[in-house]
Amino acid sequence: MSEWWSYSLADFLLFSPRVYYRLFETLNTTWWLAVTAALVAGIITFGLSIRHGNRGNRVALVLLAMIWGWVTAGFLWYYYQPINWIIPYFIPAFITEALLMVMFAARRMPLRFGWRGDFSSIAGVVMIAIAIFVYPFVGLIEGRDLIQAELFGSAADPTAIGTLGFILLARGSWRWVLLPVPLVWCVLSSGTLWVMDQNIALLPLIAVWLTVLGGWMDQKSGVTRRSLPDTGGDD
Amino acid sequence: MFLLGRRNFLRGATAIGATAGLGAIKPLWAQTLDNRAVLDVIKKPIPSTGEMIPAVGLGSWITFNVGNDPVLRDQCANVMQAFFDGGGRMIDSSPMYGSSQDVIGYGLDKLGARDRVFSTDKVWTSDDGAEQIAETSDYWNIDKFDLLQVHNLVGINDNLPLLFDMKDAGRLRYVGVTTSHGRRTDDLIAVMKNTPLDFVQVTYNPVDRKVEDYLLPLALERGIAVIVNRPFQGGHLIDRLEGEKLPDFAAEIEVRSWAQLILKYLISHPAVTCPIPATTQPMHAMENMQAATGPMPDDDMRQRIAAVIGVL
Repeated sequence: MSEWWSYSLADFLLFSPRVYYRLFETLNTTWWLAVTAALVAGIITFGLSIRHGNRGNRVALVLLAMIWGWVTAGFLWYYYQPINWIIPYFIPAFITEALLMVMFAARRMPLRFGWRGDFSSIAGVVMIAIAIFVYPFVGLIEGRDLIQAELFGSAADPTAIGTLGFILLARGSWRWVLLPVPLVWCVLSSGTLWVMDQNIALLPLIAVWLTVLGGWMDQKSGVTRRSLPDTGGDD
Repeated sequence: MFLLGRRNFLRGATAIGATAGLGAIKPLWAQTLDNRAVLDVIKKPIPSTGEMIPAVGLGSWITFNVGNDPVLRDQCANVMQAFFDGGGRMIDSSPMYGSSQDVIGYGLDKLGARDRVFSTDKVWTSDDGAEQIAETSDYWNIDKFDLLQVHNLVGINDNLPLLFDMKDAGRLRYVGVTTSHGRRTDDLIAVMKNTPLDFVQVTYNPVDRKVEDYLLPLALERGIAVIVNRPFQGGHLIDRLEGEKLPDFAAEIEVRSWAQLILKYLISHPAVTCPIPATTQPMHAMENMQAATGPMPDDDMRQRIAAVIGVL
């Protein structure tokens, strides 16, 4: 593309807020059962992830993988891809994220989640809680109908933000493999929302910032490299 | 003194419709069309052939990119209906505009309007232009386009000869080139000077007037039709003027909104063939077509329009 400096971010946005938020209205009304199931799966995953012990880690990862699969097929592929030229490039990344979660679940020692009481745990829980319980209602402040709510498990933004929270709650260095896709998505989405003049654009950016800070503090303290005490549980 | 802005005009008309026509089946814009004589829309010649086309077209950038949403697709079809019923013909799109081409095809199917449309699209690729044009034809469900343009001069060394070959083979009626936001002006001028273009598409409105200096006179001299994109700066210009009083002289040219004033400013330039405003509202599409009727501003009034809008 020549004269690239003369282009702004807005030049690459080819849809209006009206059309964007109608995506969620159509998704929520057409696929209400799947949308509800995905939200419930997210809440169950949240509950499993903050428990002490090893129980439920595989289930949590499988539920998260299914959620990412549903977001890819339901939201990205059918609804968002026709209006946004960049989405086809993201679909393989979302599928990869879901497959990575399945791989982590299938390992002999699955990725482990758990409350540790440190900064990352707090940030992780806050991000998940916002993604599941707050994000759907943020649109009301901007004057949108509740039927256009972006729900964790079906809409990409709250799912990515919540997933970053789950990654912060996890242990071990391998968890960072799951980081790039939701992190890049949050940056992209924040830019999209900013161009559309939506105040909610700040939320994905704050999630990115908290994740990077939490990750850095975890690496510095080495807390996630220490092994968990044996709780006698199994998966 | 007219006090109506574009949205106030729409609100007022909607309110009148709501009170006067509660039992009516047709939407207000359709009733309004039914109740008026067929618009005597100004037509302008395409210099290379002399064919006359209505002086206002319909753009699809952003407004028609509504994906698979059935409600919004029907709304777009309503816009097309109002546009055709108002006497419009040229609809413009691009492979760059997401689902817009597909939505236009849906609208043409629904309205059965393939014989009414002046089909205008673009080729926008550095790879296989022929393949992209074939996809575009599938979206529109149309065998032969009236006009295809090289979008933003992308891949022009391959795509322009391709379009001229199609024209020579009788598979295309007109060939054009587009730019927007005043980009690649030097390249565009070179193409206009050295190739037998039928159309050129540029950004022009009472605030973005650089094309008046050289491009528009060159188009006149070379006999190239001019399509004007971003007549309302993608809607920003109308938003800025919302709530402002129309100047007194607007009454002289039978203008009832800022949108109509801007369109009359553009249409009245001798080099301009057809501005292509985009809209999501059937009422706006009709209002835009009304801008191509009645008296037009002379040079003096055009300067006053630009001056008034420039300071607001």
